[in-house]
Amino acid sequence: MDSKFAVDLEHVVRTYKRDEFEVHALDDVTIQVPESRFVAIMGPSGSGKTTMLNLIAGIDHPTSGRVAVGGEEITGMKERDLAAWRARHIGLVFQFYNLIPVLTAFENVELPLLLTNLGKAERREHVETALKVVGLADRMDHYPRQLSGGQEQRVAIARAIVTDPTIVVADEPTGDLDAKSAEDILGLMVDLNQQFHKTIVMVTHDPRAERYVDTVYRLDKGVLAGVEPGKRARGAEAAEASA
Amino acid sequence: MKYAMLVLKNLLRSKRRTILTVLSIAVSLFIFSALVSLPAVANRVLSDTASSVRVACHNKAGVTYSMPEAYKQRIAMTKHVVAVVPQSWFGGIYHEMSDQFPNFAIDPEQAETMWPDWGVSAEQWQSFRDLRTACLVGPGTMKRFSLHIGQQIQLRGTLYHFNVQLKIVGVMGGKAPPNFLVFRRDYLEEAEGRPGLVDNFWVRVDKSENVPQVIAALDEGFANSSAETKSETEAAFVSTFINQFKFFFQLAEVLGFVVVITIGLVAANTAAMSIRERRGEIAVMRSIGFTSRTILSLLLSESLLIGLIGGIVGCGAAFLVLHLFAVGASAMGAFGDIQMPAFVLVGTLVIAALIGILSALVPAMSASRRNIVDALRTVV
Repeated sequence: MDSKFAVDLEHVVRTYKRDEFEVHALDDVTIQVPESRFVAIMGPSGSGKTTMLNLIAGIDHPTSGRVAVGGEEITGMKERDLAAWRARHIGLVFQFYNLIPVLTAFENVELPLLLTNLGKAERREHVETALKVVGLADRMDHYPRQLSGGQEQRVAIARAIVTDPTIVVADEPTGDLDAKSAEDILGLMVDLNQQFHKTIVMVTHDPRAERYVDTVYRLDKGVLAGVEPGKRARGAEAAEASA
Repeated sequence: MKYAMLVLKNLLRSKRRTILTVLSIAVSLFIFSALVSLPAVANRVLSDTASSVRVACHNKAGVTYSMPEAYKQRIAMTKHVVAVVPQSWFGGIYHEMSDQFPNFAIDPEQAETMWPDWGVSAEQWQSFRDLRTACLVGPGTMKRFSLHIGQQIQLRGTLYHFNVQLKIVGVMGGKAPPNFLVFRRDYLEEAEGRPGLVDNFWVRVDKSENVPQVIAALDEGFANSSAETKSETEAAFVSTFINQFKFFFQLAEVLGFVVVITIGLVAANTAAMSIRERRGEIAVMRSIGFTSRTILSLLLSESLLIGLIGGIVGCGAAFLVLHLFAVGASAMGAFGDIQMPAFVLVGTLVIAALIGILSALVPAMSASRRNIVDALRTVV
C-alpha cells in the first residue's frame, strides 16, 4: 500500500447478509485518493457509496480486500484501536447533521476533543477556532433547534475538523439542505480543502457538487464505473491552458 | 470530570421523565427504608436494654398471672442473687385512651442496684425512695406529653378501678426503655388494698456465668407451689415481647423488597426507553471515536446518578420523618419509636445505586455495542 495516498482501497469487497439474501454492496473496488484532494463518490441509490464511505471512516469492515487511510492500514484493527484511530484521523459529516440536541453548538464541537488530553482552555481555543472557520463564532451558545439546517451542518463540519483530522468524510452533506445552503456548504468544504489542505471524501447525489470537487468516483451496483475529473479540476486545467 | 457535563445534560434532556423516575425511586426507597427499619428496632432493643446479669422470674402460666410477694424473700436468699425488685403492671393512661404507654410499679429499695444502667442520678433514686408518690419517666414519654421534673401527674387506671397521683422526680436515660414510667409498688399495693401479689420479679445475679444456676435454682425452688415460676434472662424475656411483632417485621421486610423489585423493573423500563431513543446519537458518538466502554460508562453514570438522587431523597425523607415524628411510639410500647439505623441508611443507598446501575445495564450494553452502521441507519 502506498502511503502517499490519503485513501487507498485495494480489491475491497463488502457483502451483507439480509435475511437469507446476500447483498454485494461493493465488489472488488480499488481506488486511491491522493492527499489534499476534494473528491466525490457519486452513483445511484444502492450503488455502494455509503458503504465505501463507512469503510474509509473505519466504522465498517470489508469482507475482503484492504483499506488504508493516511498511510495506515485499518483493515485488521480491533474495535477499540479503531475507535481511537477514528478520533485522531477522521472527521465525519452526516446528511442529517446528527448534532446532540441537548448540547450547544460549542459543546457539540467540543465533543471529539473530550477524547483528547487537551485541557479545558485548549479545548475552548480549538472549538472557537473551528466555529470561526465555519462562520458561526456568534452562535456558540445556540442549541441545534435554534439553528437553521445550513447552520447545523456548519456546526457538524466544525465538529468534524476541530481535531484537525487526516481526512474529512461527508455523507450527503447537502442532502437535507435548500439550494442556497447547499452551495454555501460546498463552498465551505472547498475552503477547507484549499486553505487547510484537508482531504475530503464526500458521498453525494447532488449534481452541483461536481463543480466543486477535484475528482468524481462513479459507482454502479457496487462496482467502480468510472473516475472523472470534477468541473473544478477541469476549470483549473482550462484556465491553465488559456494562460 | 470532563464527561460530567455530558452526563448532566443528558439527565436534563427530559426533565419531567428524570424527575418522575427520581421520585418513583425516592418513594419506593422511602417505603423500603422505613419498613426495613422496623425489624432493626428489635435488635436495637435487645442490644440496648438487655443486661447479662438480670433475670426475669414470672409465673410459669404466663406473664399475666401473678405470684405472691412473699417469693421476694426466698429469691433474695438464693445463692449469687444480689438484688430482687418486684414489679407489677399498672397499665394506666395519661389523659385519653390514645395516651397509652407502659407503666409499672416497682419496689424502690433495691431498684438502683438493679438498674444502674438507667442513667438515673443518685439524688433522683433517693427522691424515688423518699417519696411514696414518686415516679421516674423515660425521655420519650417526657417528650411526648411535654412533662417536666417536679410535675404532678395523674395516671388513670384501666386494669384497676382507681387512679394514681404521681410526682416526677427523675428522668431515665442510659439503657432504659425510652417510653416508660415506674412508680412505687407500695403506693399501688395500698391503693389496691394490699393483695400482696406481684407480676414479675427482677433478679440481679452477681456474675453472668452464675445466671443459669440461679435460673435453675429459682424454678426448682418454686416447683409444685401454687404459682410455679419460669425464670429467664432479660434478653430472652424481652424477646418474647418482641416476637409478638415478628410476623409484622417479616412482612415489612418482604414488602420492602417487593417495592424495591417493582421500582427496579419500572426504572429498567424507563432506562430502556431513554436509551432506545438515543441509539442514533450513541452511534454518532461512537463514529466520532467514543469507545463502547466510554459510552457504557456514561449511560450507567446517568442511571447511577438518578438512582442515588432517588435514594438520598427517599432515604433522607424516611430518616427525617422517623426522627422528627416519633413514628410507632405508641405501637412499640416501652421499646421506643422506630429509628433508622445506620446500616439501613447505608444499605438503602447501596440498593439505590444498584437500582440505578442494574436498570440500565442491559439496554446500555446493547446500545454501546451495537453495530455503528446499523445504528446510524436508525438516525435517518
